[in-house]
Amino acid sequence: MEKDEKVLIKGNYAIAQAAINAGCQCYFGYPMTPQTEIGEYLSAKMPELGRGFVCAESELAAINMVIGAVSTGIKAMTTSSSCAVALMQEALSYACGDEVPVVLVNVMRAGPGLGYIYPAQGDYNQSVYGGGNGDYKIIVLAPSTVQECIDLTYRSFYLAQKYRNPVILLADGLLGQMMEPASFGKNPYPDVDVSSWALTGAKGREGRAIYSCAPDEKKQNQHIYDLFKKFEVIAENETSYEEFEVEDADIILTAFGSMTRNIKAAMKVLRQKGIKAGCFRPVTLSPFPEKRISELAGLGKDFAVVEMNMGQMYKDVKYAVNGKSEVSLINRPVGEWLSVEEIVSAVEKEVKYAAGV
Amino acid sequence: MQQVFSIPKSMKKDFKYTFCPGCDHGVAVRLVAELLDEMNLQEKTICSTSIGCSVFLYDFLDIDCIEAPHGRACASATGVKRANPNKFVFTYQGDGDFASIGLAESMHTALRGEKVSAICINNTTYGMTGGQMGPTTIMGQITTTSPTGRNIDYNGYPIKIAEHIALCDGTAYSARVALDTIPHINQAKQAIKKAFEVQEQGLGFGFVEILSSCPTNWHMSPVEAHKRVKEEMIPVFPLGVFKDVTQEAK
Repeated sequence: MEKDEKVLIKGNYAIAQAAINAGCQCYFGYPMTPQTEIGEYLSAKMPELGRGFVCAESELAAINMVIGAVSTGIKAMTTSSSCAVALMQEALSYACGDEVPVVLVNVMRAGPGLGYIYPAQGDYNQSVYGGGNGDYKIIVLAPSTVQECIDLTYRSFYLAQKYRNPVILLADGLLGQMMEPASFGKNPYPDVDVSSWALTGAKGREGRAIYSCAPDEKKQNQHIYDLFKKFEVIAENETSYEEFEVEDADIILTAFGSMTRNIKAAMKVLRQKGIKAGCFRPVTLSPFPEKRISELAGLGKDFAVVEMNMGQMYKDVKYAVNGKSEVSLINRPVGEWLSVEEIVSAVEKEVKYAAGV
Repeated sequence: MQQVFSIPKSMKKDFKYTFCPGCDHGVAVRLVAELLDEMNLQEKTICSTSIGCSVFLYDFLDIDCIEAPHGRACASATGVKRANPNKFVFTYQGDGDFASIGLAESMHTALRGEKVSAICINNTTYGMTGGQMGPTTIMGQITTTSPTGRNIDYNGYPIKIAEHIALCDGTAYSARVALDTIPHINQAKQAIKKAFEVQEQGLGFGFVEILSSCPTNWHMSPVEAHKRVKEEMIPVFPLGVFKDVTQEAK
């Protein structure tokens, strides 16, 4: 499936096949609804290609297997869902400290705790802010279509190696389970030279160690400053977002992941009703497009953040807006996605956006 | 004059042990380094390191190392080996790392028959954190978290690691050795060699549990500590080979 032809494919399978196309050499995973199809698909495909596949004993083991594998300069990934991704937080902190290019796909379900397999977007904080210890930052990409599941999987592997930083592809149960036409094209990203750091055995050089622990205050401080400098470069080069009809908008509907689909539709309905609505959608949740949001707020545009959680991205939008305009929240924690009608009616309640007011 | 003792090539020239005086870790690390030299493995080795007294292994050995979180060394080693089947991959862990917090990872690595080797130092205590009760603390042993001695009601029993690993079908070799005497040190080296060889031969998981003294946390002199290994530890943790598929085949 490397041709440009369109295929009708489920989000989970799209991610799995895109990982293969991106050159993922090893997959390590543990079953968890709603992403289990990724492991099922790869359990058949990876051995056929002579690549690695392990049904790990836990998510804890799976992500540490990824750390071991990617430390040798190859591409590898694990996939899981929400409460099991919680188990991986320790390893994500290590992977950032170790600067190893882990790729983790989180197909979100509802929480907290076991929650349920309803779709939700409650892992914004877990992904962007992380549950691990210490100061670290992860690159987080949020697809909104099955096509983007493919495109952003390619990008995840590239960014992870380019910056030696873990990447989370943050999808959700809706995308994972949904079929849509999409094409795989060819992985557009070049190979990254990993020879300066990859563990390959101390042949013709001294032994190399990858670790996060420096029993020296100065070194440890410097290490963290360096990690954050690196993330400034990532923010400069890699921040990406989509916006629609923001130029004349009074209110900008803002969402991430598959909720983007509904705010685009709601924007059209609102425009028909004479309300000047626009859309803004971060593709990278981390680095977050705060500069652009700040610019738009500076032009007096209000924001309505629409998300399936209790307002996790809402507070980042508020922080970026920094009092320059109004930010409201349209949300539900779990279950049926907020419909176009619900979004439209929530905006309409704020009469000030109506035409002529 | 004949040189009879030198630093193994696989050790860093300027290494400084961070181990306490009299600790057996230094002997165990040296045995590993000697074998990496003798088996010509240094240039193809990737070690998955651990947390605890063994944490700074990468400062002593001149080999490639990836730091694994506490207990996860066998999982990380699995990842390294699956990505690089031609490399030599081993872990060097304490008993708390291997058999308490990491027991699931360790045992499943053995069950999968991963072609990696694992060295586990059993000193019946958590050394780095100052001598708390661990998974191998023996009955009656006083530690900072078993102030009146390990007892069944509160603490249950210690684990016999090498015997458990020997029960895993994927294990090619499992042995327990000690470092309290010169003959035991020589036997330990042979056991580690075997655990390395079964990996190189593609036979499965190679494992050695090393009974090791911890004079600091046992509040003993090095000589008294070795006496304790002989008198208190070996009766509970008998030395021997519990599985060796190369012998079964014969």
